[in-house]
Amino acid sequence: MTILIWIIQLFFVPVISPLIIGVIKKIKAKFQNRQGSSIFQFYKDLWKLMYKDEVVSKDASWIFLYAPFIIFTVTIAVGASIPLFASFLNGPTSDLLVIVYIMAISTFFLSLAGMDTGSAFGGFGSSREMTISALAEGGLIFSLLTVALVSSSTNVFIISGINILNHSQHLLSIMLAFIGFFIILLAETTRFPFDNPSTHLELTMIHEAMILEYSGKRLALMEWASANKLIIFIALGSNLFFPLGIAQNISWLALVIGIIVFLLKILFFSTIIAILESSVAKFRFFRLPDLLITSFILNVIAIVLIN
Amino acid sequence: MLEIITPSVSFFVLLSIFFIGAISSLIYQKNDSIANFLSSFFSIIGSLCGLFFSVSMIIYGKNLSFIINYPYSSFFKISFHIDLLSAFFIFIISLISLFCSIYGVGYLKHFYKKYSIGVFGFFYNLLIGSLLLVVTASNGIFFLIAWEIMSISSYFLVVYDRYDTDNIKAGFLYLIMTYVGTVFIILSFLFIYKYIGSFEFIDIKSGISLIPLSIKNNIFIFTIIGFGTKAGIIPFHIWLPAAHPAAPSHVSALMSGVMIKTGVYMMIRLFVDILQPIPVWWGILILIIGSISSLLGVLYALTEHDIKRLLAFHSIENIGIILLGLGSALIFYSLNMPELALLGLMASLFHTLNHAIFKSLLFLSAGSVINEMHTRNIEEYGGIIKYMPQTAMFFLIGSMAISALPPFNGFFSEWLTYQALFQGVAQLNLSFQGIFIIAASSLAFTGGLALTCFVKAFGIIFLARPRSTKVSSIKESPLSMRIGMGFLALMSILFGLFSGYTSRLLEKIGKDLSIFKDTNYFTSASFYQGIDIKNSFASVSAPIIFVVLIIIIFAVIFIFTFVINKNQKIKIENTWGCGLNLNKRAEITATGFARSIILVFKGILKPSIQNEVEYHDADSRYLPKSRVITIHVKNIYNYYFYQPLRNIINIISLKTKNIQSGNINAYISYIFISLIIALLSVL
Amino acid sequence: MNILFLKFLFGVMFLTLVFLHLTKKNFLATVAYSIQSLVITIVLFNSFLETNNFYLLLVVFLSLVIKVIIAPIFFTNLIKKHALAFSVSTYFSTPLILIIISILTFIAYSDKFLPLTSIIPNNQALLSIALSVIFMSLFLIINRKGALSQIIGILSLENSILAFIIFAGLEQSPGLQIGVIFNMFIWIIIASVFISMIYKHFGTLNVTSMKNLKD
Repeated sequence: MTILIWIIQLFFVPVISPLIIGVIKKIKAKFQNRQGSSIFQFYKDLWKLMYKDEVVSKDASWIFLYAPFIIFTVTIAVGASIPLFASFLNGPTSDLLVIVYIMAISTFFLSLAGMDTGSAFGGFGSSREMTISALAEGGLIFSLLTVALVSSSTNVFIISGINILNHSQHLLSIMLAFIGFFIILLAETTRFPFDNPSTHLELTMIHEAMILEYSGKRLALMEWASANKLIIFIALGSNLFFPLGIAQNISWLALVIGIIVFLLKILFFSTIIAILESSVAKFRFFRLPDLLITSFILNVIAIVLIN
Repeated sequence: MLEIITPSVSFFVLLSIFFIGAISSLIYQKNDSIANFLSSFFSIIGSLCGLFFSVSMIIYGKNLSFIINYPYSSFFKISFHIDLLSAFFIFIISLISLFCSIYGVGYLKHFYKKYSIGVFGFFYNLLIGSLLLVVTASNGIFFLIAWEIMSISSYFLVVYDRYDTDNIKAGFLYLIMTYVGTVFIILSFLFIYKYIGSFEFIDIKSGISLIPLSIKNNIFIFTIIGFGTKAGIIPFHIWLPAAHPAAPSHVSALMSGVMIKTGVYMMIRLFVDILQPIPVWWGILILIIGSISSLLGVLYALTEHDIKRLLAFHSIENIGIILLGLGSALIFYSLNMPELALLGLMASLFHTLNHAIFKSLLFLSAGSVINEMHTRNIEEYGGIIKYMPQTAMFFLIGSMAISALPPFNGFFSEWLTYQALFQGVAQLNLSFQGIFIIAASSLAFTGGLALTCFVKAFGIIFLARPRSTKVSSIKESPLSMRIGMGFLALMSILFGLFSGYTSRLLEKIGKDLSIFKDTNYFTSASFYQGIDIKNSFASVSAPIIFVVLIIIIFAVIFIFTFVINKNQKIKIENTWGCGLNLNKRAEITATGFARSIILVFKGILKPSIQNEVEYHDADSRYLPKSRVITIHVKNIYNYYFYQPLRNIINIISLKTKNIQSGNINAYISYIFISLIIALLSVL
Repeated sequence: MNILFLKFLFGVMFLTLVFLHLTKKNFLATVAYSIQSLVITIVLFNSFLETNNFYLLLVVFLSLVIKVIIAPIFFTNLIKKHALAFSVSTYFSTPLILIIISILTFIAYSDKFLPLTSIIPNNQALLSIALSVIFMSLFLIINRKGALSQIIGILSLENSILAFIIFAGLEQSPGLQIGVIFNMFIWIIIASVFISMIYKHFGTLNVTSMKNLKD
């Protein structure tokens, strides 16, 4: 039984993520008064890319060739370590700092891969990505620390297992930390106002710039990994800050409810992200650090308010 | 068998191996390769003996202390006291010097015929020997003698490449800063002597209550300045970015990995062991110093384009992190939370070890590259991964370790430091909580910025196309250098994997210090050989992380390479340049890479840009002949600390110059007045 | 000899020193110095008479010869050879000199120096005079610009220290006496050699023009 749950946990993130990307694109299209592509389009895109041949630059090294695998591995490993629909699981990789730093591995290799081909776009993308990432990491650790302090554990499963509403005296802290976390979510998953995931203009690219030189299978893996990262952050945001409906014990009913509630939460978040993307313009690059520092300060205030 | 290794005789054998190495390489200095062989051989043997000695001491768990009674004076005795803390530092010294010496066998070959290798071997062995003496000395005067030997031998090693005048200047700056620090250390020892009456550390410890608190505070300030100058805390760090590039690469590795840790060692020895009980504000000050050093260190590292200066600034940053752990330990102990203090001390010691390993690895691999390229400017590198693949791999491992990416060792020591700080945030009341929040946030930002800096460093040096024509003629480094680097990389991985076991040992080492004798363990070995914090606040398990990542990555590679579309063709082409041929100017430069984040921090770094244009026709000013753009970053410690200091000293010197008027009568009147004053005060 | 005579002698010494401060001619300074040396010789002779120490007699004889007779003659020759008739330059003006002399004497007689001058309570008055003479000799060296006056000042400082020592009860040790003789010899030799050398090099014995040594 537990094995089944672990298998579901392992495959949930990679399987569901393309769907969510499709949903976001559909909502944005509706806002723009278009039909938009079907919500399963991303699956078809991945399939198409897997069966294409690749072109690799002669300036690239093994880092370029293996970075997609490493990044995808990281997203799967982290995806299996965070509470999605069940909070009674526990694993040794579920520590908060471990999650943050394993995701830093993916940022590291992504930036290196962007620089590896020696194109101008890739280098700039890496530079901007690292600037944002360096500042976002502080905010991320602190927002997760807030909930960790409230539940006195840094194991994300345990944090999601406690009933946050019981700690209602900390409600303000949790809300502030959530706002901070949401800003980091937008930063790390390259959504508006940090980055435009559908652009290919040099002025506005960060993530897209780094994967510009990829093609075929590796491009599919990179895009899939990016979608996985979105789900991971949404999962962290919803289950750590609002763990209602998450399965607390092993029983079919609780699990099914858990999965349904999780899907609903994801849809809710995607709607918010889509609305945000349709109504806010992307910020100029040098305004982004201000936003990240704001998120960091909100988190610090949240921590101070705990006591 | 352990009993045979540990008595004092073996320690003297250890020391004497280094001194034999020093003298013998000096004797044979006429023949370069024999001198190289002799000095390397003795330092390698000595390091191995040191490793065995320290490991057996740590496992055996006994302290060692002996005194040689130098018959002439009552306050100078050659006394040693090797407890587990000293044994731990001997371990670090031996480990790093072992691999640096192996590396040096190949590296010194390019100094043949240019400089005297025998002299180098002499000072090199003397340096390692004096490092061992510094961490084991137990008498103030003897300690100062060992400290001086260490400073002087490292000075000669720094100016070894003396045909380059920058190196001489760097060495001079290093010498001055070391002596300023030593002056403060001597002052603090003299203060202690005045109240205790002895220079022996044991006597000082037992008589510590004789020193009044105000004097103790003075001693603290002097000691921070003195040992902080050696360790490289801001603002006393100015010698580090100058001296480390000047020295030969494996000496830089030794200095950065080991020598600056002796400053940390003495701080631990004094503040945690000898001068207890201490007031709380000492720990707070160290925590603040650690935060500032780590942040400013990494910010200035981002602005550097000399690879060794970049690594030197990262040393400053990591010393800041070590001090974060130490500061939190001191605060916890002063607030009567000895378990948490032990945790902080553990974090500090673990990071000392880890930093020694990965910083040496980085310096050695950077040294290999510099050796081939004959320049330290990373703007001229690029694409080296194709010519020196193994060196690139080692540098990559070092970069991942220093950026605290799991499963390498840097992550686990930073994890422990985070845990100590988080406990502080969780358990202390508001006034201390603020300090800990500041410390934790500086650690978080440091981690992110260090990652940025090493993406830049590794990417610019090794990836993409070469940026100068020199690159095409380089080859992979010689075997001995690769062995040295390879083993260090292996150590990095191993200490990461076995971090649980290492933290057990570190707890044992920490408990050996007398203040922690009755402390319970705050961490415990978890089922998966990991580290568990008490109250199940946090736990991490290195082997599991490693295994999980390896399994998944192999599975992913297998599935996507061999299962899905295994007939895929990969075509190798030029990078797309919109139809043009991309030359070296198209790629990102280090300056460009770091400029974004420097502008984000422009309040601290104060970047400036100046444009100078020279036109073909000065009247019409349409067609520029040449443009010079100067991009500059102001060093705030220089501007706000050293410049005012220099100005004050200059003004005072100019005024006092007038005393020496050259007039005999004036001098005799000075004598007369001082005679009268002396008589009046005596009578 | 009784204490009155000794006080008289010391008074003479005091007055010669004051005269040295005020005189404008080198030759008169030399004369004053020789008178002072004569006084010291008499005092030494007195102590010989009291202690019957043979070595003391030797010292008396030597000092008589060197300090009283030879040294002034030598100085006079020096003056004639180099035409150093005048030695006027001083730093302070004459009234100021007198004021400073009186301040120094007052300090020497004050309570602050009582432990020093009461070493042998009987001789306290003598010791106080000797102490004030020491201070005044030092002041002479400071005040004067001519090298010859400064040398004379040093020598009179020596005399006054000797006077102090005799009455502080320290003249018994033979080592001291030999030291005194040795000191006298070396001083005279070096002083004369030095002065002739300075004159040859600088063309003058005026100290203010010797500033070329200073950067």
